[in-house]
Amino acid sequence: MEQIEPFADGFVLALAPEFVLVIGLFTLMIVPNMGDAKFRIPLTQIRVPWLLGGKRGKLDSDPRLPGLFATVFFTIAFGLTALSFVNGMIKTQIVTANGTTMLQIDEFSRMFELIFFGALALASAASVNRLPATSRADRSLNGLYNNRRQVDFYILLITTGLGMAVVALAQDLFMLFIGLELASFSTYVLVSFMKESKEGTEAGMKYFIVGSVASGVGLYGLSLLYLWSGSLQFTDLSIAFAENGMEALPLIALGMLLVGFGFKVSAAPFHFAAPDAYAGATAPVAGVLATASKAMGVLGLLRLLLVVASPEATDGSAVWLVALGVLSVITMTWGNLAALGSTNPKRMLAYSSVAHAGYMLAAITAIGALNWEDGHVDMSNDAALVVVTALIFHLTVLVCFKLGAFLVLSLLESENGGHTLESLGGLAKRDPFLAVAMFIFMMSLAGVPPLSGFVSKLLVIMGIVKVALLDVTVNSDLVFADIHWVWYLALLMVINSAISVFYYLRVGLVMYFHEPEEGREGALPKGAPVRFAIIACLITTIYFGVGAGQLIALCESAANALVGAW
Amino acid sequence: MAGSGSSEIVNSTAAQYAPYILLLPMLAFPVILFLGKMFNGNKVWKETLKEGGLIALAFMGASLGLSLWLVSDFIGAYGGVQKLSDWTWFTSSMWSSGVVTTEITFGFGVHIDHITVMLLFIASFLCLLINTFAIGYMNTDPINDNRNHRFYAEFVLFCSGMLGMVLADSFLWLFIFWELMGLCSYLLIGFYYERPSAAYAAKKAFLTTRVGDVFLMVGLAVLWDLFGSLDYAVVFNEYNIEKVAASNPGSLAWALGLMFIGAVGKSAQFPLHVWLPDAMEGPTPVSALIHAATMVNAGLYLVARMFHFFGAESMHGELADLAFIIAAIGGTTAVMAAAIAFVQQDLKKVLAYSTMSQLAYIFTGLGAALYLANTLHWHEYLGDGTKNPDYYANHAIVIVAFGAALFHLFNHAMAKGMLFMASGAVIHEVHHAHHHLHPHDDHHDEEPKELLMLANYLAETGQSVFGFFNAIDLDQSGEVDTYEFQKALKEANIADLPPWEMGPLMKALDMDGNGRINVPELELTLGRVHLASLGGHDDHHDEFDAQSMENMGGLASKMPLTATAMLVGSLSIMGFPLIGGFWSKEGIIANTWRVALEDPRFFYPAMCVLLGAGMTGFYMSRMWLKTFAGSPKTDVAAHVHPTNTWIKTPLFILTFFSLAGILFASMGFTHWAPDREYGLMSDHGGLWGGFLYEMEHVFANEKMFFFILTYVALFIGAVVGPGLALSLYGGKLDDGEEVLPWFGPVLAVNQYVKSRYHWDNSSFGQSGFATALENRLYFDHYYDLAMLKIVAAFSFKAAETDSSVIDGTVKMIERTSQQISTKLRSLTTGSARDYILMAALGTLGLFALIWGVVA
Repeated sequence: MEQIEPFADGFVLALAPEFVLVIGLFTLMIVPNMGDAKFRIPLTQIRVPWLLGGKRGKLDSDPRLPGLFATVFFTIAFGLTALSFVNGMIKTQIVTANGTTMLQIDEFSRMFELIFFGALALASAASVNRLPATSRADRSLNGLYNNRRQVDFYILLITTGLGMAVVALAQDLFMLFIGLELASFSTYVLVSFMKESKEGTEAGMKYFIVGSVASGVGLYGLSLLYLWSGSLQFTDLSIAFAENGMEALPLIALGMLLVGFGFKVSAAPFHFAAPDAYAGATAPVAGVLATASKAMGVLGLLRLLLVVASPEATDGSAVWLVALGVLSVITMTWGNLAALGSTNPKRMLAYSSVAHAGYMLAAITAIGALNWEDGHVDMSNDAALVVVTALIFHLTVLVCFKLGAFLVLSLLESENGGHTLESLGGLAKRDPFLAVAMFIFMMSLAGVPPLSGFVSKLLVIMGIVKVALLDVTVNSDLVFADIHWVWYLALLMVINSAISVFYYLRVGLVMYFHEPEEGREGALPKGAPVRFAIIACLITTIYFGVGAGQLIALCESAANALVGAW
Repeated sequence: MAGSGSSEIVNSTAAQYAPYILLLPMLAFPVILFLGKMFNGNKVWKETLKEGGLIALAFMGASLGLSLWLVSDFIGAYGGVQKLSDWTWFTSSMWSSGVVTTEITFGFGVHIDHITVMLLFIASFLCLLINTFAIGYMNTDPINDNRNHRFYAEFVLFCSGMLGMVLADSFLWLFIFWELMGLCSYLLIGFYYERPSAAYAAKKAFLTTRVGDVFLMVGLAVLWDLFGSLDYAVVFNEYNIEKVAASNPGSLAWALGLMFIGAVGKSAQFPLHVWLPDAMEGPTPVSALIHAATMVNAGLYLVARMFHFFGAESMHGELADLAFIIAAIGGTTAVMAAAIAFVQQDLKKVLAYSTMSQLAYIFTGLGAALYLANTLHWHEYLGDGTKNPDYYANHAIVIVAFGAALFHLFNHAMAKGMLFMASGAVIHEVHHAHHHLHPHDDHHDEEPKELLMLANYLAETGQSVFGFFNAIDLDQSGEVDTYEFQKALKEANIADLPPWEMGPLMKALDMDGNGRINVPELELTLGRVHLASLGGHDDHHDEFDAQSMENMGGLASKMPLTATAMLVGSLSIMGFPLIGGFWSKEGIIANTWRVALEDPRFFYPAMCVLLGAGMTGFYMSRMWLKTFAGSPKTDVAAHVHPTNTWIKTPLFILTFFSLAGILFASMGFTHWAPDREYGLMSDHGGLWGGFLYEMEHVFANEKMFFFILTYVALFIGAVVGPGLALSLYGGKLDDGEEVLPWFGPVLAVNQYVKSRYHWDNSSFGQSGFATALENRLYFDHYYDLAMLKIVAAFSFKAAETDSSVIDGTVKMIERTSQQISTKLRSLTTGSARDYILMAALGTLGLFALIWGVVA
């Protein structure tokens, strides 16, 4: 393990992907503002070219420039992150002079950064078309005007990415909170970015209000933890929890943290603002909310529940076991049932994302159910590894097909559609490629083999079942009394998946068997970047299903980095 | 193979590429389909690329190349079993069923042993040849224009199904590819889906094989239950079989028996044989594909695959009954199908029944071989670990018996592939000649007869179309719907059709496709029907059947290569000495009798195959003589021309392969086995040594019984059967017709026998038995009856239950869910205040739950 102080040798190199984003931030601020402005040295007639301001050139006033820039920077960041896997990961900590660990770079954090940067790169590529530059007569929903406003959008995307990256790296409650809020505030604005539309503003407002309440509660929990232990370091807190975590103060703090992160992963009943936000935001942004933002929430939960408040109740299971179990049951059932009746595809996907949050909470619950007493630890470690691997795999492939589905909707949005299921009508005739892509995304969401959605669901269920059967001796007949109740979470997941097929397939039905709505008969906009992003999603959706082995191995190395930290 | 020390895993380079043998055609499927859709009608696509035919040919050629590489590699390495898992999807230790395994791997692997290699060569080789043939056959018939890409796409998918089934390393994948073939057979048999008979035949083939498949699936489920896996590596493992044999040998017999029923369906054996003759509705390349290269071999392959279970020392004697059932089904079908083939006039139908009969031979041979493997101690060590004293003698018997069946599979596939293609060439040319001579005959307007009756009715009663229309337009909407039209037909005493049979009528009338009929539509259609009934009257009387042998005769001089191919193929199927099928058929007959000497039950299949040999001689000779000898029976047959090169090439190649039977036999194909001791070309001192050995073995067997048996079989199959046919059919060609030199003796013998021994078989032709045979022994009739009486009644009840109980439950669940959904979503009020309230409630709940755990 390497330890580096901030701005010491190797600091920039260790955090190269993040610095690329910072550079991207400044580039976006500067380049579109460059013009022929000149600066007159006072009291003289000498004018020195100043570049910032004035009349802009053709290239830097191109409205597509910021989007392309952002995409490139996200891609570079993604590539650098991936490169660190290829070169062999060296676990690196960023420590302050007095020995406080701020950030830690390992397989786990880098894996999540891959998810974040990948999702954001795809979203920004898709937005290049989503935010058309030509001024339209009605200027209602889709008119995006000059590139200065485009710049704002992509700057917010980049700050979102930076915040998420900090969350992934954080080893300290303070850093965690900073990153979380940076990402959250950026997304609040992104949701309401379409200020001309009523829905966008309203959605952003609601998302902001409910989100800040949840953040406030979470922050209160964090401060209680600090009050209790006197440290913000995960390692210190972990030791403190192990010693006397059953005191009232840390438990109250834990409950509050659950609320804060419950909102981030949109667990019921903290999810209410999510459908509104998804429906009001542009589809790529909604896609980021459903994938990267959710991964950030799960990441936080994993860190806090498994590392900090690691399992320790009297029977060896976690103190939050029942609470999280109930939360997961309510979340997955609520999400699926609510999605059944949704006729707005974005709301439907939002509820489906709530249901997926339920599945992931169930997986975390299963880890909490493990018996961590001596003699069990080895087996528990193995089982926990399986579940965490499944979780990371799930979050990764979610980027492929959930974001993909949102990107398809984003093309429809550019012709003012995508808000009703019927606007998808006849898509198979209008644009066969999009229809096939959307159908495959839906199948993957429903968990149909051999797509990656199937593998991810199977891995999660297998992990839960493995935990539930851990104490059952292998060769004896199964007795239900011996099986841990988390087994029923797996069963419920299967039932919920069955329900979910209904609304996923309905999309296919509308696309293939319904006629196009009036006024929507023609071909859809071309949009090369967004189509490229959709193709990328499509290929990965299929590839990670058929050839899941490599990605599973990658996720396992990431899971190992986390589980090894216990 | 188990027990003989050769089960080491060899992983050669050729085997690494084996998956591509099936992946290439599978890849060609979407390529051809999409290109065909995109460029349909395009000139280059149509003429240069033959509507995808050449693309298919390229892919199949590459596939064959890889197969040949693998085969030569395998032969060079003296066999052994090769297994490699190329692609592992995921491994799961979650499920453990059965006593054998606890870990399950999902993935695809390739299993290569001597059975695989044999079938692999047959399938890929014949697929390529049939593909070549199809380019000459399909693309020259205008009826197929602009839809050949569909044919080629389905064709390559079919081939990949067969290749995948052969290469698969588990029964699960075998079943998946098996079903893929089932689907493709449905699509291809129903290629001319606009013809009701083709659509019906496709349905029939699909449903009949499905009956077998259900049993196969249950059998596989039982097998899974026993072994906990369907991987060959697990189920063929000697140790695992021993464990199962110790605990539950009866269940294994059941599993294999159920799987055998699946094979019966796929290979069209009694009593699931009814689909095969109807499958002739597909284009001829499809017939060749199904009957020679792929589908029917699948059932044989499955039974051959079971050899490991029968041959396991630990299952000794447990499966003898099943082996007898296999042989008995085979024997029954052999005789029954041959008898039906006696009276068929349709060229392709004769071949269809011949296929059925020859497959039955192979089943009988397999049954005998499996019986021997199961009842003889043929492994080096006995079950208790002691050395087996009879090892060498018994081992040779089992290997030779099994080898004979596999060799017959090979010979039959080659000969039958050739015969179908040759028959296709004949039909193609007869059809063209007919088209040339009678250009109008093909334009039958197939108007429903009810419409003609309606037109006549109106003419007779003197009604105007308008008046009739107004009378039947009950709701005066200006358009008539199905119900009103049906009522009108009933009142006019024309037809009393139930609503669901009104479809074709409505379709014929409904020009704008809105599902309703108006006055102009009725007027125009009835006028057209009326005109057609007057003008085209003569055409309807002679419906020319290009497939009927009654319309052929004397083609030997017109299509010399085709006639030669057909002659060689027929001789091979008949078991004419030294040609192709002779070697294997003798082996099957001898081995069945060998078993019969030990187990009296086997006298039945043994007698059947002996009798069948004579019957085969008769119907194959009859077919050839009726088609190629004698004088042309119609003016069409007199004007047939030789066929094109695409068609000739595969015929030429396959003629060589059938003639080369003697070469293959000398190489040791008669005991085609995986053992080192029985490597090809090695055991009897090279080709010449092998030839001498085979000749001696067949014609001068040391054992008196087999010596006599050989000559009896030869006499029946090569003298009696063909002799009868020679005396009845054929005859001298018309004067002045030139023939190739080798037809001379055949025609001379024919002429001599016919003039010398001709007898009148018309009394037999009019007998009830002949009628029964013509009606295929009424199997279809009784199956239909059973369907109607039992299954239909049951399915009505089932449909009722389905709509009320099952749909009701589903609908209720759906309705309830939707109601809950509405309720839940109504909680999402849209007001942030409410959201925070709910979050607060959730927070309290969380605290309560944590508190509950702690307190």
